[in-house]
Amino acid sequence: MAIQPHDTKVEVEVAGIKFNNPVLGASGTFGYGLEFAELIDLNRLGGFCTKGLSAQPLPGNIPARIVETHGGMLNAIGLQNIGARAFVDEKLPLLRRYDTRIIANVFGYSDEDYLEAIQMLNDGAGIAAYELNISCPNVKEGGIVIGSSPVAAARLTAKAKAIAARPLIVKLSPNVTDVKVLATAIVEAGADALSLINTLVGMSIDVNTRRPRLNYGTGGLSGPAIKPVAVRMVHEVASCVNVPLLGIGGIASTIDALEFIIAGASLVQIGTANYYDPTVTMKVIDGLSQYCASKNTSVKELVKSLVKD
Amino acid sequence: MLDTIATVASNTEIAPGYKLLTLNFNQAIHARAGQFAMLKAHDAFEPLLRRALAIYQVGGATQLSFLYQVMGRGTQALALLKPGGRVDALIPLGNGWAEFFDNQSAEKNPSSLAPIERAIVVAGGIGSASVLMWCEELRQKNIATQIFFGAASARVAQGCGLADFRALNMPLTLTTDDGSLGERGFVTAPLERFLRDGGNQQAAIYTCGPWVMMKRVAEIAEPFKLPCFASLEAPMGCGFGVCVGCVVAMKDADPKSYGAYKRVCTDGSIFPAERIQWEVAAMTH
Ligand SMILES: Cc1cc2nc3c(=O)[nH]c(=O)nc-3n(C[C@H](O)[C@H](O)[C@H](O)COP(=O)(O)OP(=O)(O)OC[C@H]3O[C@@H](n4cnc5c(N)ncnc54)[C@H](O)[C@@H]3O)c2cc1C
Ligand SMILES: Cc1cc2nc3c(=O)[nH]c(=O)nc-3n(C[C@H](O)[C@H](O)[C@H](O)COP(=O)(O)O)c2cc1C
Ligand code: FES
Repeated sequence: MAIQPHDTKVEVEVAGIKFNNPVLGASGTFGYGLEFAELIDLNRLGGFCTKGLSAQPLPGNIPARIVETHGGMLNAIGLQNIGARAFVDEKLPLLRRYDTRIIANVFGYSDEDYLEAIQMLNDGAGIAAYELNISCPNVKEGGIVIGSSPVAAARLTAKAKAIAARPLIVKLSPNVTDVKVLATAIVEAGADALSLINTLVGMSIDVNTRRPRLNYGTGGLSGPAIKPVAVRMVHEVASCVNVPLLGIGGIASTIDALEFIIAGASLVQIGTANYYDPTVTMKVIDGLSQYCASKNTSVKELVKSLVKD
Repeated sequence: MLDTIATVASNTEIAPGYKLLTLNFNQAIHARAGQFAMLKAHDAFEPLLRRALAIYQVGGATQLSFLYQVMGRGTQALALLKPGGRVDALIPLGNGWAEFFDNQSAEKNPSSLAPIERAIVVAGGIGSASVLMWCEELRQKNIATQIFFGAASARVAQGCGLADFRALNMPLTLTTDDGSLGERGFVTAPLERFLRDGGNQQAAIYTCGPWVMMKRVAEIAEPFKLPCFASLEAPMGCGFGVCVGCVVAMKDADPKSYGAYKRVCTDGSIFPAERIQWEVAAMTH
């Protein structure tokens, strides 16, 4: 069934930004967006998050960087990226041709690094929002080190919010004892929205060499295997903060996306599924339209609509 | 690059553990020698990721074949496919061998010092799948080509398409690790002899095989100052450049700089061997 590109039933507004639909590509799985131009109609995409951008370009970790597991994969890419400046100068001019929301995912080893990257991105026309990646498990400083401490996370959020020229989304790690504590602290510090979850720290061992399969040792688990954990966390966080949520973790189908929306996510991000099904975002957009039409409802109405008896 | 669902025309065993998968596409695929596809049985949920397979043969505008070794979960799922079965395919991917042949490409890749008058193709194990079409193309270009074909055993040599290579009627030196067919030992031994005996004039080397073999081929080529190009293997998440999982370390870049690692899928799969930091293996086999 052909669906109109801009079905109003699937439109959503988050932090003052209008999205044609709630389906975004997740950071680190969508490159700089342009890689998908040959495969999907970027104008139909709700939006996407860039690969984590740092003030200085980063080389990334020594390979092997990925290993497939049951229902998912482990990665330890180590934030290989062209840098915030190159993104603004080289990628944004090409991206501005498309009608899609561009969210710049920001990474740093220290508070200063994060702020420097945001300053650089503030110059870039066409960026809709920032997503602060304080949850990357594959670096020894920054990332998860900040994201697992409510004090450090709140401090960075406040500093970032003070200089950010655009709405600030903070991306939470699942590798914490109580995600609600982090979420509350970060929202109190001024975050406009929260996205969750980043990958779960995991490990895989080659029994022939008795070495970890990933050179880094551990890696971040993503893919369908993590979906129930992610849905639970979105549900928990939805119950304790009143900013919009971006649900992430193992989404590969319309039903997966709906679970997150019903649990409390206004937007969803699709990650690993893009690798093995590069047109998955389009399928989910169509699927959401069909679901809304058949149930005579809208995505807005479905957000946080979990039935509690 | 096209993401499509192809239909299985046939999926036949060539030797125990090796199969030839022929796929029909619903549109023409313009594939060059040395390019590859990411494939997955359409109805298989597990494993999730598609597998990289070189384009082995072209059977017409809409038909392509893949020669593969049945190893783990992904290739086992492919091995179960029957005629009429469906395959998710992202195709064609990678740069292809021709990029490292003519003058024009020499500008992009300074080490492809044209004119190349002779070619040496070194295939190890199932790496053969990536070079069959290139051997054919070299023959069409009237380039004197010497093929070195190495396999673990007679059975493996058969599985890796030895019959198709023999049918090319090009000079071919065969080795097996166990001596069950051809010369006993590694394929790099006759290669080294050949170069020492003068086979190196204006030649370029094209190689695909296990990491250690390609590393050795690069070492052998170096003192002869021969351009050497290798099609690399790395575990691939996506095949089209977005996961940055499939990288190899570059020798000519500062290890702390952005260019320290390149993606095998979109920056390669074929690289000038001299640019590769062979000590940092992308694959551990
Ligand atoms: C560009 C390219 C072209 C290739 N062409 C061919 C070909 O024509 N014929 C053929 O038989 N094989 C080819 N390979 C190797 C083939 O992709 C692997 O054998 C296959 O991925 C193994 O999957 P599996 O499910 O059998 O093994 P598993 O062990 O279950 O695989 C687990 C994971 O490791 C990865 N992996 C395992 N072995 C390899 C390997 N050797 N290279 C890359 N990734 C690996 C898989 O992709 C998967 O993600 C090629 C590899 C690359 C990178
Ligand atoms: C290879 C890879 C690289 C990633 N890189 C980033 C990154 O740079 N920044 C970030 O915030 N998240 C990154 N992520 C996490 C994803 O955005 C997402 O949160 C996670 O993979 C869970 O979603 P999924 O199961 O749909 O993949 C990466 C994930 C993968 C698999
Ligand atoms: S396989 Fe994903 S970038 Fe190469």
